Amino acid sequence: MTNDSPLVAEFFATGKAADCPVIDCHAHYGPFQAIYFPKVTPEAMIDSRDRAGVRCVICSGHAALVDPARGNAEMADVVRRFPERFRAYMALNPNYPDNLREELARFDELGGFVGLKFLSDYHRYPITGEAYTPAYEFAQERELPILMHTWGGSAYDSPQQVAEVASRYPTIPILMGHSGHGDWEGAMRTALDHPRVYLELCAAYAVHGVVETFCQRVGSERVLFGTDLPWFDPHYGIGCVLQSRITDQDRHNILHRNAEGLFAGKLP
Amino acid sequence: MDFFDCNAAYGVPSVPPFKPATAVEDLLEEMAWCGIARALVRHAALDNESPQTGNRVVVEETAPHASLHPTWAILPTQTGELGALEEFLAAMREAGVRALWAFPSKHRYTLDAVTCGDVLSALSERRIPLFIQRGETSRGLTGWELAGALLKEFPSLVLVVTGHGSWGEDRYFRPLVEAYEGLHVDTSRYELDGGIVDFCRKYGPGRLLFGSAFPNTSPGGAMLTLAHADISDEDRLLIAAGNLDRLLAEAQP
Ligand SMILES: [Zn+2]
Repeated sequence: MTNDSPLVAEFFATGKAADCPVIDCHAHYGPFQAIYFPKVTPEAMIDSRDRAGVRCVICSGHAALVDPARGNAEMADVVRRFPERFRAYMALNPNYPDNLREELARFDELGGFVGLKFLSDYHRYPITGEAYTPAYEFAQERELPILMHTWGGSAYDSPQQVAEVASRYPTIPILMGHSGHGDWEGAMRTALDHPRVYLELCAAYAVHGVVETFCQRVGSERVLFGTDLPWFDPHYGIGCVLQSRITDQDRHNILHRNAEGLFAGKLP
Repeated sequence: MDFFDCNAAYGVPSVPPFKPATAVEDLLEEMAWCGIARALVRHAALDNESPQTGNRVVVEETAPHASLHPTWAILPTQTGELGALEEFLAAMREAGVRALWAFPSKHRYTLDAVTCGDVLSALSERRIPLFIQRGETSRGLTGWELAGALLKEFPSLVLVVTGHGSWGEDRYFRPLVEAYEGLHVDTSRYELDGGIVDFCRKYGPGRLLFGSAFPNTSPGGAMLTLAHADISDEDRLLIAAGNLDRLLAEAQP
């Protein structure tokens, strides 16, 4: 291997690195319609993370992405049971505006939530739509990060729509989940124009060259790591980051330091 | 660890990937960077231009590099573009080619017994592995459905399906793995958490081949996933290189 990074060598030798406690900013929980998960319980997820040196994951429950009323409570329960290893995003479904307000109202009471999660492509409702207003106001008031599923060319959550939201709410930290997958130029443009927008790498890391281009053009300080666990083996995403042409400084920023800063005081 | 990549490419496709590998040196450089010892290689011309070009160029350009093993594409023999079947197989032997690709949608033919019966029968008898990308379509079927239809007609064909989607596809391919012993899957996008372990527990390691899908995909992900999958080192080495070594050794063009 001509990649002579000590961090890379340590990960390949032992599966993890002592001084690189990974934080997974984009994970889920529970079974999902479209996929067989061999490791779906919280205990199994912890096993996968231990193998890869992932200290903490921030999850949104699959159930919560469909039916927030049931799913957010389920997710909060997982955080209660494993407070040292899990944090959560409160998932919101804008197709049920009354429920959206009800969920926000019990954000503190349920506990364990460190941000909000939008899955607009699946909900077929644009992130720029009116129904999200209470969520944006809630996030703005608390400077609460929002993880948005984003996809290039989407009618619901494209990088251009993220830019529109970021212009309206410049103080909300927005994590562009999957970095506007496919529209890499659009995603980088949005991140460059809006200092509180982050490029989250889940699935994007697999595209050869994307990680290093993000680091060169936007800076590794704006790139966050996520895996969609229990979908993707943490080693897959970590391996892609490790074998990118970037510095160990960049790798530390992406794999944990940026998340430590963004969620300061809120992670175990 | 000895990684033998079953799914690598280079060349100039009409629509480039995000970070292209246009020359054979780009592929070699990436293999060196990541620590991939050997690769089964196709040239982008194979599916983007023509098999005639792709088959020729890949042999010329990989010849100086012992770590690179060229692959070709098949075509229906009725149009004679790659010669008669015996001539094609003789040319394979001559060029040291031991694995083939089918691109039925890009090369516009029907991948079935009527159109390709002679070729597919010969590949089955001679145990020559046929690779097909998950996204290829023929007879109105795509991916696993196409693989299933093909294996129903040629149950002893050694078929390698590459680049299955990162959306889990175990519900599609596990039944085919159980039904057809020639079906193999590359690990380039088998990202499923715990997927390799779970698969090996049920089916053993023999059907999985390490692949990178370079230059579309970053090889590091599939490498680290396999390097630390919770399986025996013996199984790990088979998936990393041993299974592909065995398939190529069994192939008799
Ligand atoms: Zn997700």
